[in-house]
Amino acid sequence: MRLTIHHELTVTPPEDAGSLVLQLLLTPANHGNQRVESWRVEMPGIGHAARFADAHGNTVHLVNLRPEGRLRISASGRVVTTDTNGIVAPSETEPVPTLYLRTTALTRVPVTLYGKFRNMKHDRIALLHALMERVSETYAEPGRQQQSQDADLQSQGQSQSQSQSQTQNSEEGAEPIPAEIIAPSAEQMAHAFIGAARALDIPARYVTGYLCGIDGHEGLHAWAEAYEPTLGWIGFDPELQLCPTDRHVRLAAGLDAADVRPVRAVPVAGEPETVSVEVSIA
Amino acid sequence: MLGRTAQNLFWLSRYVERAENMARLLEVGYRMSLTSHREGGESEHLISMMQAAEVDEAFEATGKVATVDTVAQFMVFDETNPSSVKACLFAARTNARSVRTAITSDMWESLNSAWLEFSQIKPRDVRGAKLLGLLQWIKQRSHEFRGALLGTILRDEGFAFSQAGNFVERADNTARILDMKYFVLLPRADLVGGDLDIQQWTLILRAASAHRSYRHFYRDRYQPEKIADFLILRHQMPRSLAHCSRMLGQTLDSLAELYGRRVDCHDAVAELCAMVEGTNMEKIFRRGLHEFLTEFIARNNRVTECLSESYNFY
Amino acid sequence: MDENVPFDEMYASDGSVREPYRVLKQWIEEQPERALTLMQSDAEGLFRKLGITFAVYGSDEGNEKLIPFDVIPRIISAAEWRRLSKGIEQRVRALNAFLYDIYHRQEIIKAGRVPEKLIVNNAAFCPQMMGLNPAKNVYAHIIGVDIVRVGPDEFYVLEDNLRTPSGVSYMLEDREAMMQLAPDLFQRSRVAPVETYPENLRRTLQSVAPDGSGSNPNIAVLTPGIYNSAYFEHSFLADQMGAHLCEGPDLFVEGGKVYMRTTTGPERVDVIYRRIDDEYIDPLTFNPDSLLGVPGLFNAYRAGNVTLVNAPGTGIADDKAVYTYVPAIIEFYLGEKAILNNVPTYNCTDEDQRAWVLENIGDLVVKEVHGSGGYGMLVGPTSTKAQQAEFKKKIEARPDNYIVQPTLALSTCPTYVQSGIAPRHVDLRPYVLVGDEVRITPGGLTRVALKKGSLVVNSSQGGGTKDTWVLED
Repeated sequence: MRLTIHHELTVTPPEDAGSLVLQLLLTPANHGNQRVESWRVEMPGIGHAARFADAHGNTVHLVNLRPEGRLRISASGRVVTTDTNGIVAPSETEPVPTLYLRTTALTRVPVTLYGKFRNMKHDRIALLHALMERVSETYAEPGRQQQSQDADLQSQGQSQSQSQSQTQNSEEGAEPIPAEIIAPSAEQMAHAFIGAARALDIPARYVTGYLCGIDGHEGLHAWAEAYEPTLGWIGFDPELQLCPTDRHVRLAAGLDAADVRPVRAVPVAGEPETVSVEVSIA
Repeated sequence: MLGRTAQNLFWLSRYVERAENMARLLEVGYRMSLTSHREGGESEHLISMMQAAEVDEAFEATGKVATVDTVAQFMVFDETNPSSVKACLFAARTNARSVRTAITSDMWESLNSAWLEFSQIKPRDVRGAKLLGLLQWIKQRSHEFRGALLGTILRDEGFAFSQAGNFVERADNTARILDMKYFVLLPRADLVGGDLDIQQWTLILRAASAHRSYRHFYRDRYQPEKIADFLILRHQMPRSLAHCSRMLGQTLDSLAELYGRRVDCHDAVAELCAMVEGTNMEKIFRRGLHEFLTEFIARNNRVTECLSESYNFY
Repeated sequence: MDENVPFDEMYASDGSVREPYRVLKQWIEEQPERALTLMQSDAEGLFRKLGITFAVYGSDEGNEKLIPFDVIPRIISAAEWRRLSKGIEQRVRALNAFLYDIYHRQEIIKAGRVPEKLIVNNAAFCPQMMGLNPAKNVYAHIIGVDIVRVGPDEFYVLEDNLRTPSGVSYMLEDREAMMQLAPDLFQRSRVAPVETYPENLRRTLQSVAPDGSGSNPNIAVLTPGIYNSAYFEHSFLADQMGAHLCEGPDLFVEGGKVYMRTTTGPERVDVIYRRIDDEYIDPLTFNPDSLLGVPGLFNAYRAGNVTLVNAPGTGIADDKAVYTYVPAIIEFYLGEKAILNNVPTYNCTDEDQRAWVLENIGDLVVKEVHGSGGYGMLVGPTSTKAQQAEFKKKIEARPDNYIVQPTLALSTCPTYVQSGIAPRHVDLRPYVLVGDEVRITPGGLTRVALKKGSLVVNSSQGGGTKDTWVLED
């Protein structure tokens, strides 16, 4: 499937910032199941940006500038995807899977989430699917599903650091409606899945990307990938309860959300705001 | 050289110079207060001295009555007074520590031992007759540091920034002393001057360590326009505005030569020099002494600003 | 060996003088009465004048202390040193190979020689270093190996310091002081020079500059500033090797390259000898609250435009829990047996070993895995019952947080104390430089526990230093 993506966001630097250093993780890479036909990241100062690969093999831009008011950043291009049932072709630049056994602050989960899967370790694939279902049920939006008995589970697994806000608009000229850059439910579920998998000695990593119209979901998204020795990395999207399809475009991978924030700045600007994300079939 | 290193060297010299000037001003205030026999005279002299040092408001904020003791404690030991000798020595030493690699060990040892010795002095032991001894000691340590600097430092950019700090601070100090008492220097009908005038003139000359050199230079009695002439226009006088601005000009020229380019601060210092070159006291009086000094102080500050912009102090 | 009589480096057990100390012994006997006392007080004046001090936290501003210096040198024979330096070189080569592997394919874990669990969740492991190729594949360029001696031929490595080992300025200043105080003693002995260290440090740093830095790369020492307890050393080393002494705000990153702010504008920096902890070097990648670091520095490093010395994440190789695996690490990468021994170490997570440890705690040394400088440590034989009980509880609560070793009878050296010359316990920290080649300065820093019977040599706990002589053949 050929997808066109246009992602616009803004950063408001602190008022007295003489200079600003930004790190962008807004560039998708070629994989067996995704080929980037064209891609551009645009913002002031991008012409002199340094570009390199980080520890996870993601493409990073490092931009310096003297900010004058609010900054606009855009990432756009065309990506061709194929559906591989979530299996991600291995890449030369990615680190050893054992790295992704590391526990981080954002991926701590209570034993009640994964304890019952301990006896399923012999069939990792089945285990991971069952875990996806369990995470999805446990962390489903309050009100939609049973909530009371899992309430404390939720608060324990909730992420502390991500309070990015975002606006999405589909109509030209409409006032943007504030919303999260990545839905907190998607991030929280991905973290819960990863934390549980790691507790079961399965390497798992956090993935950001774009989503093109599944069940009305569109825009910036997050899911997880877990490692299986024979198949390699396999994607699991607990929020949508499926393995990523040709409507998922992979942007960056890391230990957790803090590792792959699309925009990071020093001095800390207000959280970046997404103005719009449009993903459509070309 | 790092911009911060240049900045530290500049301020290192300024603070040592300032410590010395504070000691000198306090000495004048002390002497004046001793010779005042009027009721409240002691306090008046001390306050006017503190005005020249620009610390009068800070002193007022302490709520203390100005006596020799309280003022001496304030100007020598009070850490809340950013211009006290202690604060200056501490700031000088802190700057020096930051640039240990850019100063010679003789400079460091001179400053370090001055600080260590000063730290041993108990404020309550410095009363009455002991005060003059301490002030003399402070001046000597400043001379020693300057001697170490002149005798050992490489004649490169670091030397230039040190010298610049020294002369900017000294010019500022002399201009302030003059401005404080400018009204007693104005030409008047009674050229002789009464006792009070003589006392004021002596204060000005002493504050600039010029009371003896004035005699050598003019071989004359104290006359207000000559005092102004001596402290403003005479290059021979090492604390005069003319000498300080000329040295500052030469110092910045050496930087231009070293770096191969002239920058904003060279214009700023040229404007400063122009104020005291090719003029005379008559012209300055006609324009207004106070206005002249105010402008000089502003232009001198402008040199610091330009210097820090041109050479990346931060 | 009798536990109660530690090995003395000057006197053999039969009371005769050991060969390396023969000249020293003679010299001491020739000294007129009070000569050593005078020398000792001269030394103090000398150090104060040179400004070799360390700041004491929490004390008055400008209050700096001297680390006591002992005027009697510690002497190592040429043959002893040959063996030590071979062992040290072997160790640092293996540890650098280990670091490369751990931050790449992790073959040693796959081979099962080091447990996965030890690395994966270790706080000293730095995930951001994965896949990064430092210049010449060197991670730890400047290393201080802590060695203790317990017998004529028995040396143990206590700790490999691969983060930013300090103390090298004391090694150099101790020698300078000794040469001023006892020139005649030098004339009679053939002492290998340590004064080559700054030059070798510069050569090492130059050799690991990024490609394209030119023949004379620009070197900066990055210090947290004048309030750091080791600031003297930072400025000393910068001065001695002609490097720029920078604080975080003096540097900035642009276009993935590092520059200093100079009086004439930006100047490119190629190599940074940083004396700031990993966590603080770059607020963009690590601790966002750090004001000491340089935003984007780690990215510039990743992009290969600057070399950081030592590399971030070297702490995984000197972690106290990894320490026990160093002999296995040497075998795995070099195919050799370790020349220098580790101190036997008990693993408290093993139930049997823990039970034995708890029973015999009065004879053992307990160290916190992430402690340093003699804090968080129990020395069994000199501890009280209450302290032992406290540590027993701590071990039971968190067995993985402690390593336990036998109390070693550290060797003693004659030391000048109030009552005259008396034996005191010493350790040794030789300094190693790794760049295009391995350079080990003959000698190092000898730390001496000045209190009678004490085994704790840290300066924060009343230790002093000695000049350390390696004799030439």
